[in-house]
Amino acid sequence: MKHIYWLLFLAVLASPQWAIAQDEDDEEDWSMYEELELVDDSNVKRYAKPTIVGLSPTRFLSVSWDMQMPYDMSLSAARFPASQGTGWGVDESAPISETGTVNFTGGFRFNSSIPIISKSNIVWQSGLNYMRVGYNISDIQADGNASGLASILNETGLNNLNWTNTFYVPMTEENFFIFQGLLDMSGNYGFSLQPFNTIRWSLAAVYGKRVNERKRWGLGLARTYRVGNLNYVPVVMYDVTSADRKWGTEILFPARAHGRYNFNKNSLLLFGYELEGQSYRIDEFSFGNNSFEIRRGELRPRLEFQKQIPGPFWAHFQAGYRIDWTFNADELSGSREFFRGFFGTQDFGMINSLGNAAYFNVGISFVTF
Amino acid sequence: MKKLILILSLSFLGTYAWAQNADDIVGVWEPGHGKARVKIDNIDGKYYGRIVWLKEPNDPETGKPKTDVNNPDASMKNVPLRGYRILKDFEYKGKGEWADGTIYDPETGNTYSSVITWKDENTLDIRGYVGVKTFGRSDTWRRLKVK
Repeated sequence: MKHIYWLLFLAVLASPQWAIAQDEDDEEDWSMYEELELVDDSNVKRYAKPTIVGLSPTRFLSVSWDMQMPYDMSLSAARFPASQGTGWGVDESAPISETGTVNFTGGFRFNSSIPIISKSNIVWQSGLNYMRVGYNISDIQADGNASGLASILNETGLNNLNWTNTFYVPMTEENFFIFQGLLDMSGNYGFSLQPFNTIRWSLAAVYGKRVNERKRWGLGLARTYRVGNLNYVPVVMYDVTSADRKWGTEILFPARAHGRYNFNKNSLLLFGYELEGQSYRIDEFSFGNNSFEIRRGELRPRLEFQKQIPGPFWAHFQAGYRIDWTFNADELSGSREFFRGFFGTQDFGMINSLGNAAYFNVGISFVTF
Repeated sequence: MKKLILILSLSFLGTYAWAQNADDIVGVWEPGHGKARVKIDNIDGKYYGRIVWLKEPNDPETGKPKTDVNNPDASMKNVPLRGYRILKDFEYKGKGEWADGTIYDPETGNTYSSVITWKDENTLDIRGYVGVKTFGRSDTWRRLKVK
C-alpha cells in the first residue's frame, strides 16, 4: 500500500498540474518555478512590442478643432501650364493679382485608428480621417487678371478625406517593420466629392529596432504629400524615454519631431514641430480631365499639452506658429501626378504666399498606451 | 494492480481530460514575451494570476528585486513584482472563455479589461482592451510543466 501512495505522489508531482494546487503563501518557494519548461515548445517565437514605455498615448479616436489667427494672403493670376503651356516658371516671381485678409482658417478634424488585427506577431490598424480647412476672408482686392481663388476659398473651404492603414510586423524580439499606406481625396468638394482619379496615395516603409523597453529607432523611405507636393524622402524614427521616465523623444523625421516631458502618468508636454499638407483640387479651375491643385504645405512648430480626463479619454491643447511652406498650384494633365523634386522645371499654375500666423488646436481622444 | 494503473492514468491525464472546463486555465503559463511566468489560480470561483518568476528578477540599476515602480498608486511602487497579481476577477463564461477580468501591465502601470480564450490545452489567447474588445491587443500564453 505504501508503494501505491509513493507512486501516486510521484505521478502528481510529474503532472503539469503540480504547480496548480499551491496555495498563495507569503513564504512561497519561488525557486520551484524556475524548474519549468513549455509543454509544447514548437513554434515559439518572441516578438518586439509595438511601443516603448513613456510614449504619449495612442489615439484610437480623436476629434479636434484647429484655428489659425488672422494673416494676409497674396495670390497670383491662375495659369494653366498643362493645358496651354503658359505656367509660371519655377524661379519666377509672379505678380500679385489678388490679396485678402484671412480672419479665420481651420475647422473640425476627426481621426481614427482602429485595430483590425492586434496580435504579438502583427498589428494592423485602419482609420478614416477627415480634416476641414475653412476660410473667412475679407478685404479682397483683385485686379483684372485675378483668378478669384480667394472668393472660392471663402465660400467652399478645403476638405480632406483620408484612409490610412498601418502594419506593424515584428520579425524578432528586437527587429520590426512598419508599413503605412494612405489614400487622400483633397479639394474644395461638397457632398458630391470629386473624381476618384484625383485620389492621391502615400506610402512609407520603415525598418526598426527596439533596443530595449525605453528605446527604439528606425530607418525607411516615404512617398508623401506632407508639404503639398509629391516627395520621396528618407524617414528616421527615434523614440527614447529617460530612465526616470520624465524626458523623451517622439521623432518620425521629417514628418514630425517632438521632445517630451512627462509631468506624471496623467499629463505630458510635447515640444517640436509637424509638417502638414495635401494637394487640394480646385473644382472651378479643373477643366476637362485635368486637375488644378493647390499644394498646401505648412510647418508647424508647437507645444502640445496632453492630459487625462476620466477613464481612457485624454484632452490636448496645442499652440504654435503656422509657417507657410507652399500654397502654390499645379495643373495636372489627365489628373496624373508628377514629381518636381528639387530639380524639376515644370511650371506652376499659381505662385501664392500666405502670412505666417499663430494657431491653436484643442481636442479630445479615446486612447490606449 | 489494475486499480493502480487506473489511478496513475487519471493523474497523468487530469489536465487534458477536462477539455474546456472552468479550471482548465489553472496552472503556470508563460506570456508571449517570455520574461515572466504567471500562475493562475481559482479563488472562490474566480480566476487570478500572479507573477511567480521573472527572467530578470532584479533591477539592473539597483541590483535589488524589481518592484512595481510604474504603478500610478504611489503606495504600490515598493511592492515586489514577484508575487504580484496581474490577472484579477476572471469568471468562466463557458465555451472556453474567461471574461470580466482585468490584466495589469507592470511595464506601463496600466490596467486593461481582459478576456481569456482557450485555444488548446497548452495555449491561451489573452486580450487586453480599453472599453470594447476592438480596442485591444492579444497575446499568446503557453502552459508550463515541470522539467
